[in-house]
Amino acid sequence: MVAARAAEEVLQSLLSRRLIFVTGKGGTGKSSIAAALALLAAGAGKKVLCVEVDAKGDLARALGGEPVGFAPQVLQPGISALALSTEESLQEYLRIYFKIPRLVRLTPLARMFDFIATGVPGIKEMLVIGKIAYEERRVEKGAPVWDIIVVDSAASGYVLPQLRAARSMMQLTRAGMLRAQTEWVDQVVADPARTVLTICALAEEMPVIEAIELQHLAREQAQVAVAACFLNRVFPIPLTAGDAAMLERAAADSEHLEARLGGPVGPLLEGVRLARRLRAESERYAHQLRTRMRAPVIELPLRPDMPFGLARTRALAAAIAGRPS
Amino acid sequence: MKRVATSRSRGVLATLARHQVIVCCGSGGVGKTTVSAALGIGIASAERKRVLVLTIDPARRLATALGLRSLGTRPVGISGSRLRRAGVDTRGEVAAAMLDMKSEWDRLVERHAPSAAVRDRVLNSPFYKGISDAFVGAHEYMALEALYNFHAGGEYDCIVVDTPPSRSALDFLQAPDRLVDFVGARLLGLLAGPSRIGWKAIDLASAPFVRVADRLLGTEMLADLAAFIRDFRGLYEGVRGRAADIYRLLRSDQTAFAVITTMEEESLAEARFFSSRLREYSMPLRAVVVNRVLPAALRNARALHAATTLAEDPDIADWFSSQLDGTVRPDSPRRLGLAFLALHEMAERQASLESRLEGLPGVPIARLPLARTEIGNLDMLGELARALQGA
Repeated sequence: MVAARAAEEVLQSLLSRRLIFVTGKGGTGKSSIAAALALLAAGAGKKVLCVEVDAKGDLARALGGEPVGFAPQVLQPGISALALSTEESLQEYLRIYFKIPRLVRLTPLARMFDFIATGVPGIKEMLVIGKIAYEERRVEKGAPVWDIIVVDSAASGYVLPQLRAARSMMQLTRAGMLRAQTEWVDQVVADPARTVLTICALAEEMPVIEAIELQHLAREQAQVAVAACFLNRVFPIPLTAGDAAMLERAAADSEHLEARLGGPVGPLLEGVRLARRLRAESERYAHQLRTRMRAPVIELPLRPDMPFGLARTRALAAAIAGRPS
Repeated sequence: MKRVATSRSRGVLATLARHQVIVCCGSGGVGKTTVSAALGIGIASAERKRVLVLTIDPARRLATALGLRSLGTRPVGISGSRLRRAGVDTRGEVAAAMLDMKSEWDRLVERHAPSAAVRDRVLNSPFYKGISDAFVGAHEYMALEALYNFHAGGEYDCIVVDTPPSRSALDFLQAPDRLVDFVGARLLGLLAGPSRIGWKAIDLASAPFVRVADRLLGTEMLADLAAFIRDFRGLYEGVRGRAADIYRLLRSDQTAFAVITTMEEESLAEARFFSSRLREYSMPLRAVVVNRVLPAALRNARALHAATTLAEDPDIADWFSSQLDGTVRPDSPRRLGLAFLALHEMAERQASLESRLEGLPGVPIARLPLARTEIGNLDMLGELARALQGA
């Protein structure tokens, strides 16, 4: 129950923010976790925007939809989603601030901006983060369009350049319109009451190392607060060495044991050894994360019975909230 | 179908060993680095060859296993006696090297800059510092450049390269083109201006671009950027020539591409995407390696029955107690049963995705078992290398 209450507290603290970035090493389940947070926010009555930065369509699929485009699309009650593209962000930016109508891809002006965007370090990142900050500030009829924005961000290696884009830009631009704009974007990102980063990991060496390193770098280089770390796909059955030893002792008389169980004991022993390994790794890495992360660590169980999709996202949401699913 | 799968699995190592460059691709988290190392060891053990494993960002234990202690592009040999202790009887030699991105970029500038003055200005520019991490495809290009240099050096018979964890497969394939475009863009030249004070001299057609850029970035930054771009463009001829060489090598028969995947929806989708892109780039896929395959024993139907007895039979704990003349924790059999059932579900899910492999071109497929230990030591690599040999 203590664990459930702790999970509830972490969740409430996350949902009190305006912008949640979800990152982690590739393959750690970022999209599913971002989708689960969106379901939880919508469940709390919030108007949610999900933003997919890497645009593989996984976030939309985790919410039971087909891949989305640059225009927000409703995927679940209270949840809209969009996939970011640098080019469309740029065109939108030019439309809003320069009253330049939508450009055909290969007009010289668009191409020049393509090159500025590739050439000036951080412009692409700035467009990503700028679009997100723009959505955060959007107001219609006196009310914010979105209560909360959940970003399925780039993998951990790429997320920092995005988060610190505004800050780096401020060092390069001393005047011009961009200078003023980077300032407000930086204010949004660096405000821990509004914006937080959450990091996903698996019980494996590299994802855990990346999570721990990212926590330090996020604070030092991007001034972004890390609010939670999700240890995903924890092997769910707490097998002990004693459990395995019992089966092995009984297997000394395998004929007798097989007669009682109604099946061969060899595969059982093989499975139990593997399960012990997976469980021991889950526990070891959970411990390592707990001692080395300042942010709370939330363990999410492996759901071998569920394929990737909305049902699994719902189960994940329940686990994040500390509720049985 | 089963027969086809078996005959396919035999050929991976033999197929790849015919090439001098093996590029391992796949989505993040599938164990690319580990598989690349195992492929290198497997090839060296099967044939009398000098093999180099070129890694990007290995896990620490794996780096230690390969004998790589610090960052640096200098290859380090793995001694034959260490390999033999790990159960690998090598006829060839294996070395490993790790890429250091920062020094690779510096080397690129040093190699291609037209003069020492330009080289120093580029290396000291604040834009350069940003570009080396911000440019999409930089890591990918640098990996290819290093690969090319090792290949041209001729010291190794076979180079296995582990690709960086790209945001997308395309980043990797497009990296050389993209760098050439980036360095040589005509419009970037326009932005650079005809000279240091030449903004006003730009022809009328381009004036609006410069006006917008000026308003956006501020005159001062635009001038700094223009100066940097002028210098950076000096690298163009060198980079263009090198990129063409790299593509030629990747498209030649000397190179083989291998896709690494796990039996999970996301990585299988990525593998399929990658293989179709490779075809577009005329860089044929030669092999598929499926990593972390669960043992077939987990799908044994009678074992499933036995596990269900453990998990559900209310009298089973008492039975164990009576057999073992001692106290058995009453929930122990249930946990054992549930653990097996969970793994059984995982193995069934993997098996249900088997048909997705058929979407890949008809190349040999190797299946590597989920290793007995996670620890990336040489023993584990040896175990995987033996699995690749189908021994």
